[in-house]
Amino acid sequence: MGIVIAVISGKGGVGKTTAAANLGLGIAQNGKTCALVDFDIGQRNLDMILGLENRVVYDMVQVMDGEATIKQALIKSKVSENLSFLAASQTKDKSVLNSEKVKTLIASLKANFDFVILDSPAGIESGYEHTIEFADAAIVIVNPEVSSIRDADRAIGILDSKSNKVKNGEEVAKYLIINRIVADMVQSGEMLRSEDILEILNIKLLGKVPEDKGVIDASNQGKPVILDKKSIAGQAYTRIAGRLCGEKVDMKDIEISDSGLFKKIAGMFK
Amino acid sequence: MFGFLEKKQSASVAKDRLTIAIMSDRNRGDAYPFMDEMKEEIIAVVKKYIGVRAVEIKKEIDGDFEALSIDVLLDKTT
Repeated sequence: MGIVIAVISGKGGVGKTTAAANLGLGIAQNGKTCALVDFDIGQRNLDMILGLENRVVYDMVQVMDGEATIKQALIKSKVSENLSFLAASQTKDKSVLNSEKVKTLIASLKANFDFVILDSPAGIESGYEHTIEFADAAIVIVNPEVSSIRDADRAIGILDSKSNKVKNGEEVAKYLIINRIVADMVQSGEMLRSEDILEILNIKLLGKVPEDKGVIDASNQGKPVILDKKSIAGQAYTRIAGRLCGEKVDMKDIEISDSGLFKKIAGMFK
Repeated sequence: MFGFLEKKQSASVAKDRLTIAIMSDRNRGDAYPFMDEMKEEIIAVVKKYIGVRAVEIKKEIDGDFEALSIDVLLDKTT
C-alpha cells in the first residue's frame, strides 16, 4: 500500500509542476515505484516537463469513465522504469471530476505503487479540493515572496478542513518546499528567510531549492532538472527525494552563498 | 558603515505585512468551510437537552493563541 502525496501551492507559477516531476523522478531513482498524476484538468503540463507529451494516448478522465484501463493510460518514463505518469484531461469542463471517481482511481494507484504523487491545479477551486481529498500528505510549494506565501496559507487552510483524513479525525501530514531561493538576497535582507516563512505558515520544512536557470533549460528539453547532476536545483530535489524515501539527508543551507559568506567575512574587516 | 540600518530591510517589512494579512485571512469565517457544519452539529447536540435559538462561533486570535468562543443562545421558554 503506497502513500498518496498532493503537491499544492495556492498560487500558480511557483514551480509546483516542476517539483512534482522532479520528486517523482527522484523517488524512482531511489528504487521506489511512483505514479505521477496530473490533476490540472484543462491545463495539462506535467507531460511536457517530463518529455512525455507525444506518448499520451489516454488521460485520467478516460480512466475514471472506464474508457481506458489504468494500465493502458499509464506511461512509463523513458529514464526510470519505476516512474509512471498519468496525464490530465485537456477538457475545458472541470466538473468531470467527482469524489467517487477520484477515490477509485487513487485507491487502485495506491495498491500498485509505493508513492502516488498528485500535481494539483493552482487556485483553491474544486480541482484543488479533489486533489487533496484522498491525500495522506501534502507538499506545499512556495516562493519566498508575499503573494505566494499568503496563497499557500489559504490552500493549507482548505487542506486542514476538506481532506478526508482530517474529516476522519486524523491528521494530514504537510511539508514545505521553498523554491527559487536567491542566497545573496536573503543575506542582504531583501528576501524572506526560510525560518520566517516556516514561522508564518506554521509548517515543517521538507527542503529548500535555489533559483537556478537550469530549470528552464531542463523544461525546454523535457528532461527534469534532477537528471542534471551539476544543477543546484537538481541536487536540491535529489536531497528532498531522499528524505521522502526515508533517508536522513541533512538540510543544506543554501541561503548562504559562497559570495555571501565572502562578503560577510570581508565585512568584518571594514 | 551603519548605512544599512537607516532603511528597514524589505524582507522584514514582508514578514510584518504577511503576518498581519494571514492573520486576518484566517479570521474570516469562510476560511474554515467546516464552520457551518460544526454549528449545526452543536445546535443538534444542545437541542437534545434544552431549546436553542442560535449558536455563534467566533474565532479569536491573541498573540500566539487561537481560541474559538461558542455562544449558545437559549430559548426564553426553557
